[in-house]
Amino acid sequence: MKYLLSLLVLLFINITTASVTTDLSAPSFELLDSYGENVSLSDFKGNTVVLEWTNHDCPFVAKHYKTGNMQSTQQLANEQGVVWLTIISSAPGTQGFVLPAKANQLTSSRSAKPNHVLFDPEGGVGKMYGAKTTPHMYVIDDQGVLRYQGAIDDAGGIGFMNKNLLEANNYVKNALTEIQGGQAVSTRVSKPYGCSVKYKS
Amino acid sequence: MKKLYTNRLNLRLALVLFLICFFPLSTLSNSNFNTGQSSVTLLTESNQIGSEETLLVGLEFKLSPGWHTYWENPGDSGEGASIKWNLPSGFKASTILWPGPERIPVEPLMTYGYEDKALLLTEIKSPKEFSNPVKISAKINWLTCKDICIPQEGQVDMTLIKGPKVANQFTSKLKEIASTVPKNFPSPYRVSVINEKIFLQFEKEGSRNISEAYFFPSEYGLINYAADQKLEKNDNSFSLELSSAEVQLKTNTLKGVLKLKVDGIKEFYALDLPLEKNTNNPLISISLLTGIIFAFLGGIILNAMPCVFPILSIKILSFIEQSQGSKEKLFHHGLVFSAGVLTTFLAVSALLIFLRASGEAIGWGYQLQSPWVVSLLIYLFVVIGIVFMGNIVLGSSFGNFGTLVQNQKDLASSFFTGVLAVIVASPCTAPFMGPALGLALLQPGLQSIVIFLALGIGFSLPYLILSIYPQLLSKLPKPGEWMQTLKQIMAFPMWASALWLAWVLSSQVDMQSVFAVLLGALLIALGLWLLEKTQNSASILRRLTLIFSLGLMIFSIWLLPITSDNNSPNLKNEENAFSAQKLSSLRSEQRMVFLNFTADWCITCKVNEAIALDQDKVKKVLDEKNIIYLKADWTRKDPEIASMLASYGRTGVPLYLLFPSQGDPIILPELLTEDLLLDFLKEIN
Repeated sequence: MKYLLSLLVLLFINITTASVTTDLSAPSFELLDSYGENVSLSDFKGNTVVLEWTNHDCPFVAKHYKTGNMQSTQQLANEQGVVWLTIISSAPGTQGFVLPAKANQLTSSRSAKPNHVLFDPEGGVGKMYGAKTTPHMYVIDDQGVLRYQGAIDDAGGIGFMNKNLLEANNYVKNALTEIQGGQAVSTRVSKPYGCSVKYKS
Repeated sequence: MKKLYTNRLNLRLALVLFLICFFPLSTLSNSNFNTGQSSVTLLTESNQIGSEETLLVGLEFKLSPGWHTYWENPGDSGEGASIKWNLPSGFKASTILWPGPERIPVEPLMTYGYEDKALLLTEIKSPKEFSNPVKISAKINWLTCKDICIPQEGQVDMTLIKGPKVANQFTSKLKEIASTVPKNFPSPYRVSVINEKIFLQFEKEGSRNISEAYFFPSEYGLINYAADQKLEKNDNSFSLELSSAEVQLKTNTLKGVLKLKVDGIKEFYALDLPLEKNTNNPLISISLLTGIIFAFLGGIILNAMPCVFPILSIKILSFIEQSQGSKEKLFHHGLVFSAGVLTTFLAVSALLIFLRASGEAIGWGYQLQSPWVVSLLIYLFVVIGIVFMGNIVLGSSFGNFGTLVQNQKDLASSFFTGVLAVIVASPCTAPFMGPALGLALLQPGLQSIVIFLALGIGFSLPYLILSIYPQLLSKLPKPGEWMQTLKQIMAFPMWASALWLAWVLSSQVDMQSVFAVLLGALLIALGLWLLEKTQNSASILRRLTLIFSLGLMIFSIWLLPITSDNNSPNLKNEENAFSAQKLSSLRSEQRMVFLNFTADWCITCKVNEAIALDQDKVKKVLDEKNIIYLKADWTRKDPEIASMLASYGRTGVPLYLLFPSQGDPIILPELLTEDLLLDFLKEIN
């Protein structure tokens, strides 16, 4: 009985916070973007895809945008023909939840370069990917295989707010460069850091 | 609905903006700093500091109700505070001494930190010479969070006077918090990784009643922060089951803080244990596949262990007899025998699973801790011996009922020989079996059954091979008169086993009970003799003897001792008897210890003791190197020993542990030889 229970508990945990495994196929999803169009991960088969979980009011995200660190990563992705999907899993009423117009305005005011800003107000996609923080980054190669998950760089940890992000080791840029060069991704997983994703409770 | 949400959002945003505007992130030159959601105050244990002294200082964070700030490892999100000290030259500040954190769940995530208030300590060391006054200041960056996070920045400073330390109104508060900074864990603890589960096991100290335990990992990528941690309380140890992180990062150590609630009071301990050492040790952490292979090998080797020998003799006899029949028939017997073995192993595993579920401390050979079982086995061995010796073949009176019935009867006997083989094998542990059974008992039901089945298949494999290739038997002489003689000779190892079990029983119950059992054996012998004598008598006489014999047997069973007698010599009083307390005190004195887990009913143990442990050379080396010899006797139920065995992933004896003066013990092989043991003893230090 005890084991049956623990099995149930395990199942339950797996449902609530699923996760994805690096070097395995990334699960597909379909979400509405800021222009009201359905966007599916499978639309981009053949392209490398970056997923960025965001919440513009989160101080961590704010710092990455204020310093231009996120934009320069997006710039590299654009140059390589990589598709950049910014995902907002904040539930309505929580920090980071925005309406489409506001999302587009944030994109232009911050000179951000995502291909799409996607809304995940139910948190289903975020939980499926095990997105815990904003920012939380995922890199999927042109075969649909997850190659990197974690932080954008190694600046996380105590003292982040005082760090110079331009000096940090940008894991996403590294992964994109390595994938472009046909190499294996050297850092496949890192500890994501930032604010908690404001999931629907 | 949407409108409502956005209104709420706007309100909150407005509030935050208001707060930020009202309390700009400016720097105040004061020992106190207030941002609105939180304030920070610099406290020192003294307003004076002497030369080459250590001053305890603290930054006291007072947060608005419901807000929190983070621990060193914030968990799934957030960030701990950073403190940058600005001190006169020569002064040095320690890293932050973080008090034990609390869990702050943010569904579905888990964060670690401090709610409502926090006091982060630092030790400041003064140089030999410095000028007066001493101005210290700290620049602090921290997050104050509720459902949202606000980064805060501030500076606090204070001027100290040169001079001897004098207690002030903050001294006791700082000292009190200092006592909650995790200390090194005092009791022995260990970490085992078994199939994605991490077990943190630690010993109980004295009578402390631990009601709650939680492990805060220091590093990402090993443990799932959000998963529940299951605390299992044993009599003398605790086992905290941690779930592996969903996303794994390679780590070499399990590092973090263990929070215990002892008699209602929170205690925090720092743990740091290399993981690799444990995961690389196949004896502790083995995969299911390895467990199955080990069980299979162990099963094969079990055939050669001393306790199975008598049954081996029965089986060889029956094979010689059966080899006269058709090849097909022999094959059927092999299969049925294996079925008997497997069924029994299944029954044993089902029983173990059932007992485990009901919270019993169990293990292989466990049943022999019950005087009832031991006594029944004595009767069984006596009966087998008598059957071998005389002409009684139980049930043979049915005679030649025709080939079909005869065949069925033989098949049934093959089945029960299989059952019997497993029963008498139970006092024995073969090499490889220990870790496999250890794993079996930690696994959920199905996997544990698989391991038991592998053991059974290994155990019956030699007979299956013999029955498939009967030509292997052709090397043996043709059946004849010699078989009768051999059978009679084999009665003696049976009786020898009965004798040995009687000795085992004598350490469990008092002499009177042993005598009662032996009397029972005598009555059974009488009953059997009567049955044989009247085999060809008239039916009424036969029935009467049958009833009388049955009466004798029931009476002999009635004689069985029901429970262990607690008044019989207590093995624990022996000078070298194991107790967790004795071991931990020897370990704290950094003494080398050789720990022998044994039981009287464990023949493997007794053989090891005779050929290795009790040898003069071994005793000499133990003396010379001043290695303490401890004996953990598991002849009777002993939860302390059971939990110690469990902490090494074992469920049965023997287990030999050799503790160096520092660090983890070496687990010695289950089959010891004098040379092997001497090698280990000579190398240890």
